[in-house]
Amino acid sequence: MIKTKKGFMLRSVAGRHVVVAIGQASVDFNGLITLNDTGAYIWEKLAKGTTYDALLKDMLADYEVDEETAKKGIDGFLDTARGAELLDED
Amino acid sequence: MKFNIAGLIIEMNVRFPRLKRQSEAYKYDGDAEPNVTIRLSDAFFAEKLEENPHLDYEMIEYIWMGSEFYNALIHFNGMLLHSSCVVYEGKAYLFSAPCGTGKSTHTQIWLKRFPGSYILNDDKPAIRIAKDGIVYACGTPFSGKTSQNVNNIVPIAGICILGRDTTNHIEPIDPDDALFNILNQTVRPPQEEDMDKLLTTLDTVMRNVPVYRLYCNMELDAAEVSYNGMKNGKKEG
Repeated sequence: MIKTKKGFMLRSVAGRHVVVAIGQASVDFNGLITLNDTGAYIWEKLAKGTTYDALLKDMLADYEVDEETAKKGIDGFLDTARGAELLDED
Repeated sequence: MKFNIAGLIIEMNVRFPRLKRQSEAYKYDGDAEPNVTIRLSDAFFAEKLEENPHLDYEMIEYIWMGSEFYNALIHFNGMLLHSSCVVYEGKAYLFSAPCGTGKSTHTQIWLKRFPGSYILNDDKPAIRIAKDGIVYACGTPFSGKTSQNVNNIVPIAGICILGRDTTNHIEPIDPDDALFNILNQTVRPPQEEDMDKLLTTLDTVMRNVPVYRLYCNMELDAAEVSYNGMKNGKKEG
């Protein structure tokens, strides 16, 4: 299961997707993450909690992409999100 | 004591000279119930003094009464933008940047270059969205280190994120860059509900007010360049 950490919220501001920290998370993270449409899509799935395979399946169903491209997109996103310590995984 | 600040009736128990002086022009004698009541208790003063031994009661009142005001503002379609705000020809121009970049220096150049211009708030203007959807800058008694503020509410012509350069130039800002800078120069509430309100306000501000990047030096020409770049600013799309 992969899930975004508690205390982050995604909102749309002026046509951009923005992730900000609230509560305890805002003490450690007072930056700002902007996402493109695909990034926001992945974030929303992760916010609810999902697995890599389920996420891939969803992406293939919702976007007209081949598996390789979808994986690349997901991997890139997960790498960045892990680097920023935004995910809980078990 | 009641005050009318940014179109809101604020009840504050002002005790010390600095805030008394700076809030004088905002006093309200009418019968309207306050939108917000702010009371700083003796215990609060004692606690802040212990945490900040370099401050005195007068400064504690000035800083935290302001801080409480800007926290409350979020609930009334408003937000703080850490910036120096100059008014010219009935329009407000806000220059925002981290401390030490030269916000006040830049607006002081406007005062020299454009007679009739004045500082609405040198450090912490309030931004409010009116019922008509127009975005206004508002003077408040809380203006940082300087006491430069005027009790007035003025439609905003534009917001500039300020940087230093040897030459003067201005350009429309990338929206991600604008969001990042504005969110770093306001107070972010820790509660989700309040953060939601702030982002909703910011959304309206960014849809209705053009935001620029200004790079400038300290010469008179800097005001000329920023004014010309912003005066006819229309939000596209």
